[in-house]
Amino acid sequence: MELIDKLSILADAAKYDASCASSGAPQRSSRGKTGVGASNGTGICHSFTPDGRCVSLLKVLMTNFCLFDCQYCVNRRSSNIPRARFTPEEIVRLTLSFYRRNTISGLFLSSGIIRSSDYTMEQMIEVARQLREVHEFRGYIHLKAIPEADPKLLEQAGRYADRLSANVELPTLTSLKTLAPEKELGTIHTAMGQIREGIDAANDGARADARHPPRSANPKRQAPRYAPGGQSTQMIVGADATDDRTILQSAQQLYRSFRLKRVYYSAFSPIPERPAGLPQAAPPMLREHRLYQADFLIRTYGFQAEEILGKPGNLELDIDPKLAWALNHRDGFPVDLNTAEPGMIGRVPGIGLRSVQRLVELRRHRKIRFQDLVALRCRLETLKPFVVTQDYRPADAARDSQRLRQTMTEPQPAQLALI
Amino acid sequence: MIDSPGTSTLIVAYASDFDGWREQARQLLKAGIPPARVTWRDGSDRNDDLFSMGAESLPIAPNAPTPTIARAHLQALSRAARYRTQPHEIGRWPLLYQTLWRLSRGDETALNAADETGAEVQRRQHAVKREAHHLHAFLRFHPDADARGECFVAWFEPAHEVLDLGAEHFADRLGSARFRIATPQGGVEWNGEHFTYHATCPREWRARAQSAASADEDRALWRTYFVSTFNPARLNHKVMTQHMPQRFWRHLSEGDLIPALEAKARHGGQRLAQEASVGERKGKALPPARPERDADA
Repeated sequence: MELIDKLSILADAAKYDASCASSGAPQRSSRGKTGVGASNGTGICHSFTPDGRCVSLLKVLMTNFCLFDCQYCVNRRSSNIPRARFTPEEIVRLTLSFYRRNTISGLFLSSGIIRSSDYTMEQMIEVARQLREVHEFRGYIHLKAIPEADPKLLEQAGRYADRLSANVELPTLTSLKTLAPEKELGTIHTAMGQIREGIDAANDGARADARHPPRSANPKRQAPRYAPGGQSTQMIVGADATDDRTILQSAQQLYRSFRLKRVYYSAFSPIPERPAGLPQAAPPMLREHRLYQADFLIRTYGFQAEEILGKPGNLELDIDPKLAWALNHRDGFPVDLNTAEPGMIGRVPGIGLRSVQRLVELRRHRKIRFQDLVALRCRLETLKPFVVTQDYRPADAARDSQRLRQTMTEPQPAQLALI
Repeated sequence: MIDSPGTSTLIVAYASDFDGWREQARQLLKAGIPPARVTWRDGSDRNDDLFSMGAESLPIAPNAPTPTIARAHLQALSRAARYRTQPHEIGRWPLLYQTLWRLSRGDETALNAADETGAEVQRRQHAVKREAHHLHAFLRFHPDADARGECFVAWFEPAHEVLDLGAEHFADRLGSARFRIATPQGGVEWNGEHFTYHATCPREWRARAQSAASADEDRALWRTYFVSTFNPARLNHKVMTQHMPQRFWRHLSEGDLIPALEAKARHGGQRLAQEASVGERKGKALPPARPERDADA
């Protein structure tokens, strides 16, 4: 099979993984050196496909042959799809060619499980090894960790990769048992734990180096790097009946237990050869969008999953989770922007973290006026009922949340996918 | 503080780049000239101006202190200076001098986004940063060869003055490989060790970049990847164009694929995530045991 045909099949097979981040890698430069590639911590989106997703990495499977039969997966062994397998050299050639043309910032390599988990992991590591050692590639590498693989292999993978990820795919044990009977949540968690230990140990080593500079004078004695871009995972949304509260709680648990950098949510897209019981509907993109918003509130605004969704159920589709929270907690509002804690200003819907910083900076010099919110381009219609400034008090402060909500939602909220 | 040139004379200051502006601005600040009394002209417009006096001839008290501002503020101003103004916008030099004037008098709000001029400086800074990011993201190199060997060549149309920022970025990425970036204004060449800038890009660079793009043997591979990685079940035109404005499409080798992919996804192909041409290939379900034979086939 020609390389171009393999690429067509194995890129198609890899698109279900939402992650395409190339951020979080350490400073690397090829200036004045042999080899190619750089990273500086910020990701670059080199293109966008018409689904609005960023193309930052060459995202392919090494092979889509697979021993497993996970029902939600297009590559499961019982699926009647075209199969292909790259050699490590072919992936290396594609990565370098695309990188030099500036169409990607690195490689995201995943794979179906062939022969054994160890064998599969070894093959993926071989690609990363050739890139790093033979071609002195300093761009971004994200490797999928095969959970059942030998811990020594995970250790090796983390030496070459900027990021490792093991996908939980389904948020609950029950769903995993029904839809992916050959996978075990236990081994996925074990792998995540190992990756976390590897990252923690490398960080400890780096800190020790910083404390004892003589030790780091010899590069060979420096603490080895281990997945400096951290680890991430993915959960499929809408393949099973799990509600948003459960999804957010497991995400929160994963952030806490394994210090994940990111949890990705992937709205289930209909796949060919659909097994019975899986939805055929368009992917729930709006629901996925609300989950990302809620996830952002958990990661950067200090919200708890239980605050965002107080009881079992899904996030509201017609308003964003921060506004929904504020409407349910009217007793904490309106917030006086001239006196409130920064954390509380951050909880005002329509005011983002950057604006919080700017307001706090500004009020050191003078009082905040409503015009300042206009100049900062905050979402005025959203924030109006929730703030007090030197020259403004909300007229509708007494209006009940239900009526407020009605005035704030558009007449016909888009309930379906964003098509 | 200064007696002559009086408190009403207009001063004309010339600047063609940020360093030139900085030098002039320093003189003006030392002489205590407020923004309203300064008319800024581009350095290239310079000629004998009979009716006003230049900043160089300003009398400055010998013990006037050199004005200072925070390094971060200076960086903000130099970033905003890279913004190419539209005819209806306030010119870069008067805007920067207004801001500098206030900063030098301790008005820290002059750069805050809630301030009117502060917001404009911030907006320009942001536009420049975004354009540098566009350059890093959407510039495409294609291999070309000349007497000195292989060289990666590119054509890009930046909306603001960001060429040098891009050149630095690509020197980090490509290491010892040679490259050349051509734009409608300037051009830059990297020989693996240092840069050569041309204020006006040599005319043949553009043609070479375009012919290298169409002759690139790996063009088909990238186009294939782009088609396969797209999920037609998630069509989202708005988000795509927000992130990748259409002005960039015509210089991307995948650009002309976009309308066709969208049309196909809209008219029926939208239900499945799989690319249609992959679905049309012969499929293969695997037996539960020993799938490795197939894998090695």
